[in-house]
Amino acid sequence: MITVQHLTKNFGAQTVVSDVSFTLEDGSFTALIGPNGAGKTTILSMLAGLLKPTGGSVKMEGIKDIRKEIGFLPQYPQFYPWLTGVEFIELTAKLSGISARGARKEAEKVLEFVGLKDAIHKKTAQYSGGMKQRLGIAQAIVHKPKLLLLDEPVSSLDPVGRREIMNLLKQLQRGSTILYSTHILNDAEEMTDQLLFLKKGKVVEKGSLNEIREKFDVPRIRIQFAGVEEAAGYSSQTEWPTEVEGNVVYVYIKDHFPTMQQVMGELSNSPFTVVKVERDRLSLEEIFMKVVSP
Amino acid sequence: MRTFAVLFQKELRESWRSFKFLWMPLLFIFLGISDPIMNYYMEDILNAVGNLPEGFTITLPDYAPADILLASTGQFQSIGLIVLVVIAAGMINRERQNGTALFIYVRPISFAALYFSKWAVINLLAVLSVILGYGASMYYTAILYGTVEPLLFIQMVASYCVWILFATTIALMFSAMFKTALSITFTVIVLPIGVLVQSLIGQFWNVSPWKLADYSVQLLTQSENEYYLKTLLLTIICTVIFILIGILFTRKNASSVKV
Amino acid sequence: MMDINWALVAPLLVIQVVLLIVALVDLIRIESTNGPKWVWALVIIFFNILGPIVYFIFGRKS
Repeated sequence: MITVQHLTKNFGAQTVVSDVSFTLEDGSFTALIGPNGAGKTTILSMLAGLLKPTGGSVKMEGIKDIRKEIGFLPQYPQFYPWLTGVEFIELTAKLSGISARGARKEAEKVLEFVGLKDAIHKKTAQYSGGMKQRLGIAQAIVHKPKLLLLDEPVSSLDPVGRREIMNLLKQLQRGSTILYSTHILNDAEEMTDQLLFLKKGKVVEKGSLNEIREKFDVPRIRIQFAGVEEAAGYSSQTEWPTEVEGNVVYVYIKDHFPTMQQVMGELSNSPFTVVKVERDRLSLEEIFMKVVSP
Repeated sequence: MRTFAVLFQKELRESWRSFKFLWMPLLFIFLGISDPIMNYYMEDILNAVGNLPEGFTITLPDYAPADILLASTGQFQSIGLIVLVVIAAGMINRERQNGTALFIYVRPISFAALYFSKWAVINLLAVLSVILGYGASMYYTAILYGTVEPLLFIQMVASYCVWILFATTIALMFSAMFKTALSITFTVIVLPIGVLVQSLIGQFWNVSPWKLADYSVQLLTQSENEYYLKTLLLTIICTVIFILIGILFTRKNASSVKV
Repeated sequence: MMDINWALVAPLLVIQVVLLIVALVDLIRIESTNGPKWVWALVIIFFNILGPIVYFIFGRKS
């Protein structure tokens, strides 16, 4: 288990990270979510030991030199262009304490795992963006660290590349604790145990996706009409509290009323053409906007 | 120690693959050869290109072997030195600025090992180049002008190498302290321009690392120089101090690596 | 006409040619340089000794 307590970082007079505390359970997958400039990279850099915190601490149960147990992938990994893929991973493996003989083997193994088997003898200068991301993941996991820190691991990739990398991370999750930052919420939605919402260097909300959703969800029914006038017409006629957005009307539910049946009944007696009725849930995107907006 | 070995191999590989181990020695050999040959043909060259009036002859002084080696030293001290220290001045900070060093800094390494891996490779390159350069100069000088005492020659080369270690150590220290543009500027001011200043107004002091190169060549003529040992000692002490400062700043500035 | 002992001068020429060739081969094979490649080609070819060395120091992207 990793415990982060009261982590704070000032650059001069500016406070970039302010009193951040959280715990990472072994084997859990945690997303650090926040707009650009919220302090995500700074937090990850401090956990990786690159930046010295102004205050607070990062502790890993039973580990003294935390650098031995960390794998780090920066947002834009830069590689020595004059090394081949396998030479680079071998170098990082050796620096992480793997024996000279084992390093080559581990390097080949991990490169196969991330899908770079055919490119191991190519110079990294010739790698594409997606291949570089894979190489970055390979160097982060070659020494089997307890904690993986990934800074925006997929945001620079196209949708196909994004999916491939997320699948890789899913496979990884069995072994390590993972903390990753993102501003793309769809990624976070699908496989994350814990969400940490960051705003201006502070954790403003944390919990599992369900917990947060429950907290912020506004129960409502979404009715889509054929036209704007029809939506307005329904809204002015009904007795329930509503909100109109173009051809969509939201009916707000309070103390379990109205029920879906009540709304459907009312609609079937009305002259308006309905396209779609559904129980509306806030997407993570909307929750995010709620949490981080002032 | 293991970290040093791994990083040393990495630095060696980079220098090898960027052809530094080819062109740096070739440059010094070229600089070493050019003075003995140019001086040997100087009379012919002047006659051929000088358009001298009929009957006009120039008498060039007869050079002693030590004079030629001094001239070669002058070449090493200008072009050779600039090239060498400019390379050293980018060794630590460039990796930080382009972000490639990140994958090394997040691992459990000692920054002393990191520093020494670079120090060792640049000085291996420097000493190799200097030895080959002086060797080539000596070879041609011996053929064209005569020889010098071998032991004195070796002493001179070794002594000059101490100066070169001092120079690369300063450049590497700046590299650990500043960004590349600044470190290269400071390095060029302190070393090549420092050598120039030394040659202009150096008569006002006697003990300074910047005098070591001149004193080294003077060893050949065996003229008694009470300041030589003091200068040598001072240079070595300064080198050690600058190494320590370099390590300190390598560690201190690690957090400025581009993430 | 100057009486030149070519055996003596040959090493100078050899060094120049070796640097020239290695620099040009590297220029052709390298992905990209600082500044346009053809400028570096001219620098390498037209400046003896220093052309290739300036290319090795400043031309190659690292």
